[in-house]
Amino acid sequence: MTADQILAEIREANLSYLMLAQSLIRVDTEQALYRLGIGEDTAKLIGALTPAQMMKIAASNTLLCRFRMDDDIVWGLLTSHGKAAANESVNRLHASILLAGRHQEAA
Amino acid sequence: MARNKSILTEARQIERAVTLIQLGARLQVLESETDLSYERLLRLYKEVAGKSPSKGQLPFSTDWFMTWQPNIHASLFLNIHEYLNKVSELDEIDVVIKAYQLYLEQTQSQALEPLLSVTRAWRLVKFVDNGMLTLTKCSCCGGHFVTHPYEIAKHFVCGMCNPPARAGKGKLAGALQIPSAPGRTTVGAAAHAH
Repeated sequence: MTADQILAEIREANLSYLMLAQSLIRVDTEQALYRLGIGEDTAKLIGALTPAQMMKIAASNTLLCRFRMDDDIVWGLLTSHGKAAANESVNRLHASILLAGRHQEAA
Repeated sequence: MARNKSILTEARQIERAVTLIQLGARLQVLESETDLSYERLLRLYKEVAGKSPSKGQLPFSTDWFMTWQPNIHASLFLNIHEYLNKVSELDEIDVVIKAYQLYLEQTQSQALEPLLSVTRAWRLVKFVDNGMLTLTKCSCCGGHFVTHPYEIAKHFVCGMCNPPARAGKGKLAGALQIPSAPGRTTVGAAAHAH
């Protein structure tokens, strides 16, 4: 990947993220807070962005969204590196319960 | 009270009631969460659901939430509920509705039977409010799970970190299943042969 390609792909990803986030927020703000893992203030900002502002913010050399499964337990459950006995859907539910318990990140 | 009832408030309540009926709520939930009269709710129910509401008492026991599979479903719902409660300022019943919708999506995306009905979910929130049930942190994975309030948090291990012996052996479609460990199957097969 050349530097130009990297910038183009990051811009694409940022733009898709912002557009998805904005439509989620407009459909149902509270559920969007859960889905996106962001706080109310951030949601208000994203919800009010104009297309031109979005284009401007998206054009950057860094991504706007952050990885949320950044710990061993959740990561292990999602990639099934944990116990062999427990099956996949149990692991996924377990991971969802752990992730849903992390409201301190958003608030 | 009925005399100066605002039409806007009533419209909002009807909308809420319709959502609850569509999610499969029992009539008692609607009666408790709206100011609409029993007769109107009954008519609304028939109109939305196309049938008469089921009769009889609501499930009243906290024990159901303690069995392995229901506990997982209830914990998922309650964690989502707590999340929405912390990040937003909604009326209590709207938090239940929104959290329940998110819970349904999650089970659908994993092709699981949504074991927790909206009526049970609503009961669960009431049980937690009354201090009859609570969320306890698992000492193993750190997740929060539905338990009785007197659970000793220091030693609590959730049903997913330490599934009970018979857990996940049901054959129902949409149920959680844990394949038996190889060692266990041979023991079973050997016992069967004798």
